[in-house]
Amino acid sequence: MIVSKAKERQDVINMLEGVKSVFLLGCSECASLCGTGSPEALAEMKESLEGIGKKVTGTFVAKTGCQVLGTKVELKANKDEVDAADAILVMSCGAGTQSMVEVFKDKKVYPANDTAFLGNMTRFQHFDERCSMCGECIIDKTGGICPVTTCPKGILNGPCGGTNNGFCEVSPDIECAWAKIYARMERTGELEKMRQIIPPKDYSKKMSPKVFVIEKKKEEK
Amino acid sequence: MSMKKLKEALEAGEFTITAECGPPKGTDIAEMLEHAKHLLGKINAINVTDNQSAVVRIGSLPVCRLLSEMGHDPIFQLTCRDRNRLAIQSDLMGAHILGIRNVLCMTGDHVSAGDHKTAKPVYDLESVQLLQTVAALNGGHDLAGNEMKGATNLYQGAVVTPEANPLEPQMLKFEKKVKAGANFFQTQAIYDMDNFRRFMDRARKHKVKVLAGILLLKNAGMANFLNKFVPGITVPQELIDRLKAAGKEGALECGMDIAAEQVRTIKEQGIADGAHVMAIGLENKVPEILKRAGIA
Ligand code: SF4
Ligand code: SF4
Repeated sequence: MIVSKAKERQDVINMLEGVKSVFLLGCSECASLCGTGSPEALAEMKESLEGIGKKVTGTFVAKTGCQVLGTKVELKANKDEVDAADAILVMSCGAGTQSMVEVFKDKKVYPANDTAFLGNMTRFQHFDERCSMCGECIIDKTGGICPVTTCPKGILNGPCGGTNNGFCEVSPDIECAWAKIYARMERTGELEKMRQIIPPKDYSKKMSPKVFVIEKKKEEK
Repeated sequence: MSMKKLKEALEAGEFTITAECGPPKGTDIAEMLEHAKHLLGKINAINVTDNQSAVVRIGSLPVCRLLSEMGHDPIFQLTCRDRNRLAIQSDLMGAHILGIRNVLCMTGDHVSAGDHKTAKPVYDLESVQLLQTVAALNGGHDLAGNEMKGATNLYQGAVVTPEANPLEPQMLKFEKKVKAGANFFQTQAIYDMDNFRRFMDRARKHKVKVLAGILLLKNAGMANFLNKFVPGITVPQELIDRLKAAGKEGALECGMDIAAEQVRTIKEQGIADGAHVMAIGLENKVPEILKRAGIA
């Protein structure tokens, strides 16, 4: 999922300088799981903003905030509340925030969260980054463990000299991706594959902004 | 005494000595040049580090050129941390036209280790791919396969950590580096000769030259620090005890003796093809170490 972290409250308050009334929008997907866009998070934000004298015209948790059309339809019921607000404060990822920018052409829209990474929830509310969406997956060659993401140097051809008893030189909290890859490929009997040199990555595949359109299958006659 | 250059010496099968020059942060290079002058005629080649430990300093390439004018055979250390594949290739061609003939290909310490921790690390390529890049340029083509007007002629080196833990993935990478075109290796600092011998037994299966990394121990504190904080370096207790016994005044002398003994053993027993002596700021002590080792 998309991991988001709540910004420091003071930063949000600074962002809302001159804004008297806000509409709060959350998201029921990733941001709810991260606790940054859940009903509880919205209620807490409402209370905190009201505490400093802002008016909260309404709150709503979108089903899927990054889904522009769906969110637009959902929000029809809150039209008056949105209209009454100087700004919309979006408590989701940056994609959800920009859905609002697209839907409400003349309204100020601000982010309440920092969008961090694509994460696996490995324990309750504990997220690990395992894929950084490079656009061309190569983990068939690396035992299913991504060195692009889990090695801080993104090394594609084996451990650097800093590999340290299974941990990474960059931080004692990080496991060395290549120690893990080796151990796993040894277990799965794929070490021969590890001898092949992996070529430089094609970073054109990661060039932003990206567009992807699912083509309709041709109707079978 | 005139010394053979790195490639010549290694190919002639001579015991080859390299040392290191770390460019300073700032434009006052008097001390650096002074140290380098001390080493003239005593070593075959001199490494010039590339923003070592991710700390900003003068670039490796201009310093290589200065040392080459002085009469040294410089080894251009090139990391992948600060440049993408375009900058890497133009620096490699630049090295060639400046008369530099050796390049040491490394991935490079992470920016988090250095003095600009908020920098964006590049790592567009890494060491194995960098070796392939040099091989491509030596063959007259760039990494995208475009033909060049004049190829480079660079003798390619790489690094290896004989005491890495775990060792097997490191050995696998060593083999990849050989396959990618490495002609010579300089090792991370080694202290345990038996471990190093075992590493060399495996390295000898490949047609590459290996220079053993000899890191001058300045005192017991440094040895403990290496054991505790630098992955891939293990200083045996016996050496730490010797440094301790030498006391505060005698520690450096003792460290120089240890380094000299290591170089002598490696040479006399033919364990490796040469030694890479690292003195980190005490380059002026290298000639004396070599003298004690019976070399200079
Ligand atoms: S290689 Fe890594 S970053 Fe790229 S798609 Fe696969 S898992 Fe994600
Ligand atoms: S120690 Fe392992 S994970 Fe860390 S940078 Fe080196 S190879 Fe990558």
